[in-house]
Amino acid sequence: MRTIASKALIFFLGLTFFWGVAVQGAFGSGQNLYKDKCAICHGINGDGKGPGAGSFTPRPTDFTTPRFWEGNYERNIANSIKKGFREMPAIPMSDAEIKAVVDYMVKSFKK
Amino acid sequence: MSRRGLGTAVIVLGLAGMALLLASTKARAVPSFGRQSGMGCNACHTVFPELTPFGRAFKLTGYVFSKKTEPYEFPPPVSAGGIVSFTNTGKAQPPGVAPFESRGNDNVNVPQVINAYYAGKLFSRVGTFFQGTYDGVSEKFLVDHVDIRYANYARIGRGSLIYGLTINNNPTVQDVWNSTPGFSFPYVSSSVVPEPIAAPKILDALALQVGGLGLYGFWNNLLYTEVALYRTSRNGPTQWLGAGTQIENLADGVIPYWRVALQRTWKQHSFSLGTYGLVARIFPEGQTRGLSDRFTDIGVDAQYQYIGSKHIFTAQATWIHEDQNRDGSFARGEAARRSGSLDTFKINGNYYYRSRFGTVGGTLAFFSTTGSRDPELYAPEPAEGSRTGRPDTNGFIIEANYLPWNYSKISVQYTIFTKFNGARTNYDGLGRKASDNNTLFLNVWLIF
Repeated sequence: MRTIASKALIFFLGLTFFWGVAVQGAFGSGQNLYKDKCAICHGINGDGKGPGAGSFTPRPTDFTTPRFWEGNYERNIANSIKKGFREMPAIPMSDAEIKAVVDYMVKSFKK
Repeated sequence: MSRRGLGTAVIVLGLAGMALLLASTKARAVPSFGRQSGMGCNACHTVFPELTPFGRAFKLTGYVFSKKTEPYEFPPPVSAGGIVSFTNTGKAQPPGVAPFESRGNDNVNVPQVINAYYAGKLFSRVGTFFQGTYDGVSEKFLVDHVDIRYANYARIGRGSLIYGLTINNNPTVQDVWNSTPGFSFPYVSSSVVPEPIAAPKILDALALQVGGLGLYGFWNNLLYTEVALYRTSRNGPTQWLGAGTQIENLADGVIPYWRVALQRTWKQHSFSLGTYGLVARIFPEGQTRGLSDRFTDIGVDAQYQYIGSKHIFTAQATWIHEDQNRDGSFARGEAARRSGSLDTFKINGNYYYRSRFGTVGGTLAFFSTTGSRDPELYAPEPAEGSRTGRPDTNGFIIEANYLPWNYSKISVQYTIFTKFNGARTNYDGLGRKASDNNTLFLNVWLIF
């Protein structure tokens, strides 16, 4: 039993590492950037109800409301990413990365 | 407390305070999590190390949230910290009871511990909380708490799921609610005082003595579930997780661990209710084969948090029931009965006020351990034994804290024992009273 447990642990250690490396291959896509930088507060569904949202008043922005998409949303999102917004830190993304995030948000959350 | 002891304590804590003032000039040289995330420390902690909802999310998602877009952190996410302390008990400990080179009373521990952390993103979605410690009492280096994680998100219909793997060395250290033993109040206590004779295995006995792998999921910010398997760190692939720690609880086979919790967050409030437990077969002390004892621990815990802009209130409670099958100890004559049980209960309420001069507040806690009688297992001995054969211990902890800056904490903690190892008076059979163990513990905790 101990041998099996030891081998299982080594297997999962290796799996964890290589899984992380494999995921890295897709790093930089809009979806992955959103997951890594936004989802913790804004939620994987964009509804502003991420797992960390409860720490902040007012709550993180809900991307699923039509109101969010009024006006120049591309510029607004880019400004928030580059300069930070309320508790959100500035994130030094390139213009291409910001565009990838915006494209993913439009595709996933804009109704 | 003697005048000399008090004077020494004042000088040491004064020097520590000066060091703290000097350290404050580098207030932006923040711990690695804050440096990595770009968030203020109040985002993750009410008062460190207690976690806020964002702190719990940061931990659940693998310690990898970063303001940078690279898959690695440079410079590496390292931090350091330390605790200096002074301990006074109601009556000095008898000769030979105080650990290591400690005095019987009025112990000044400079340092009590020094910590080094590698805490943050390792690569991509793999991150870690890795704590190395120099224990100033035992004068030893050891691998302290370790939690290495892989985590990711998934969308499930209109719902969400955070899932991940954790490798850690203490069942419950990976938990994100401060109502489970791994990171619960009191976060710091004296290491040079008599210890109660019994506690459930999940409380502390397996810490740094086992290593394991867990799989967890957090659905819709509502339901958390986790299963994990642990093995002894005496040898094999988990040995490094117990480096520097003397393995006193040698596990016979694997230890399954489970955890289920419900969480609800609304406005500035959050509430959680959960259960956790494990089944551990442990060899009697000094044995590596033959009959072992089986411990089945089942815990229930709850936490409430209110986090306002100035006022913070938190309450935590946990009850643990342990069923003990002592076949191994009974066969060796170390237990009078083949079976027994232990129950522990702890509840604490914390209030803090955030002002422009720092954060000030404190905690009031009640703790209780009760268990079945066993005159062999709980035998008389100086200061740490039991005359009655019972493990019953209860009392209160009052703690006041002042945090002039976010990464420094000055604490005054007083522990009152109303019962110790089964009795109020002459509990050890040698005339010692429970109140003789009442403990004044002053400490300064710096982290940067």
